[in-house]
Amino acid sequence: MHKGAEIVLQCLRAEGVDLVFGYPGGAIMPLYDALNGSGVRHILTRHEQGAVFAAEGYARSTGKVGVAIATSGPGATNLVTGIADAKMDSVPLVCITGQVRTPLIGTDAFQETDVFGMTLSLTKWSRLVRTIDEIPAVIAEAFYWARSGRPGPVMIDLPVDLLKASTEFRGPVKFQPHPKPADLATDSAFCDNLIALLQHARKPVALVGAGAKLSGATDDLRRLLDHLQVPTFATVHGLGAVNPDKSYYLGMVGMHGTRAANMALSETDLLLVFGARLDDRVTGEPTRFAPHARIVHFEIDPAQLDRVRPCELPVIGDLAETIPMFYSQVKRASLPNWNEWRSIACGPERAELDPRGFSEPTIRFIDELFRHLPENSIVVTDVGQHQMWAAQRYRSRFPRGFMTSGGLGAMGFALPAAIGAQLANPEATVLCISGDGGFQMNIQELATVKRLNLPVKLVIVDNKYLGMVRQWQQLFYNRNYAETDMSDNPNFVAIGYAYGINSRRMRVDGVMDPDLAEESANAIQNFLSSPNPELLVFECPPEANVYPMVPAGAALSEMLLEEE
Amino acid sequence: MQVFHVLYRNTQGTLMRILTAVSRRGIEMPFVQAEPTDQWHKVTLLLDVNPRQIGQLSRDWHAVVDVIDVRAGAPKDVAEYSEAWAVKPHPPSPVIAAREAASGALA
Repeated sequence: MHKGAEIVLQCLRAEGVDLVFGYPGGAIMPLYDALNGSGVRHILTRHEQGAVFAAEGYARSTGKVGVAIATSGPGATNLVTGIADAKMDSVPLVCITGQVRTPLIGTDAFQETDVFGMTLSLTKWSRLVRTIDEIPAVIAEAFYWARSGRPGPVMIDLPVDLLKASTEFRGPVKFQPHPKPADLATDSAFCDNLIALLQHARKPVALVGAGAKLSGATDDLRRLLDHLQVPTFATVHGLGAVNPDKSYYLGMVGMHGTRAANMALSETDLLLVFGARLDDRVTGEPTRFAPHARIVHFEIDPAQLDRVRPCELPVIGDLAETIPMFYSQVKRASLPNWNEWRSIACGPERAELDPRGFSEPTIRFIDELFRHLPENSIVVTDVGQHQMWAAQRYRSRFPRGFMTSGGLGAMGFALPAAIGAQLANPEATVLCISGDGGFQMNIQELATVKRLNLPVKLVIVDNKYLGMVRQWQQLFYNRNYAETDMSDNPNFVAIGYAYGINSRRMRVDGVMDPDLAEESANAIQNFLSSPNPELLVFECPPEANVYPMVPAGAALSEMLLEEE
Repeated sequence: MQVFHVLYRNTQGTLMRILTAVSRRGIEMPFVQAEPTDQWHKVTLLLDVNPRQIGQLSRDWHAVVDVIDVRAGAPKDVAEYSEAWAVKPHPPSPVIAAREAASGALA
């Protein structure tokens, strides 16, 4: 006979899980009681939101399923932001919550909440388990849906009495999905149409999103792009899918994308989209997005098609299948010479990222960090100005080398996600960049870093403002800096030391004064190469802005390049 | 107005996922009826949607794990959908009966 909690853990092991993140509480206690000797390592975070973001960091950096555990009621509700984040960014995630005893469900019992109901629109799939005998099948199905198709979050709600109960356990099971009659098999019929579109195109471009990485199609995509040689750009989640050293690569596209990428997208007559949702941060004003273009959309999730504009040719299927299918045919086709278009789109006139370039201290600081960062490092950012500066400047060659909360834009993401990424990649340098606002949203996870002595490199870009909101207030709200001032921030260095983490501060002159350049370079080098957790607080100018910027409601071609 | 028929496997939460795809867009649902069919379950929805929302909803519903098929059709009069409904008192009779029993006991 096995207890329900033991069955859960054995089924998790059968799914390949050896690391989970969580926070205990009343309704989930039997599961914690069974952890010892189960083969599942549990990482105790200091808040359930820390656990779910850490599980995301683990999943995003490996492609494996992340697992987060919490108790019922407030434990479960604290997972919700992370579940929403995983849904938006297609992160495979299994959340396990304790629930009150079965007879008490629906009675507003202590720490009861309808987490099943409140996450229905955020999860791909979920179950409130009703009998102990369902547990193996429920866990198998949960992992299947988390991984399959467009990955995403699933949730299992486990009443505490089922975790305590015992039954005969015949071992983990495999889930066999029911085929949907409406599912279309991917075939190569699209290739001829796409080749014809390319043959008639004068200004083709490629836009690369996260789907190229999630499907494991990065190598296939790079081979195809090398063949086509069309101007190419990436969404924030597509960074790392394309080799940034390629002459046809124009960097990030969208609200804070490069001028070259946004101009090319505005002028193109054929847009090839590889695994991107085309959300409003990428398109600018949707009605003026790629106004001259026919759109070809490679996408695994049909629900993402036509959200912004109807596409000329949808290519539904796993990019790991459709891209090689297309490459095998297009490499034999005769294509036009797009040299003239390429020389305009990728030419030096448009290449300058930011008119102020190296004069902006924060950009210079971030460049210095990246200059010393080893190859195959993992950069994790929070949300805000530093996120966009990092996305603009980091030239990752490693598909999973840059992670951020892109779709949801959840402040507080970076520190716990970096913990998950570091645990999953113990040999990698994991650089976590946060703003002073976001860092304080999950600052308690410094305790997790210290407890595990994880060598995460933590950077706070401290401008003593909610910088991105302040930037919008400056540009669009007549400099009314309502409730974005954080000039009374705590002493982050002292906080770092209070948690037992070596901490230091760097000021603007550290990166701008030539006399201090060598000293600063050494400090950054030492910071990054330390075998221990380190915290570096960069005190940057309070009113620096991220440029280029496409104002809300404007077309991509109407980007602001500097303050007017 | 547009009528949709969504065929689904009647697993936990599937009907609610179908409905939240509508409610998250603030679309009015003048008529909703769910019923078993020979093999699956079917929910019929009468919605006030524009052509773009028709495509979005159809694709969102297809993406729900246990949705089998989605069909759109011409709307009938709401009264035709509703004719099978008989107006019942509220609260439902078992509650009224229980209250009456309780009143009787107190008396």
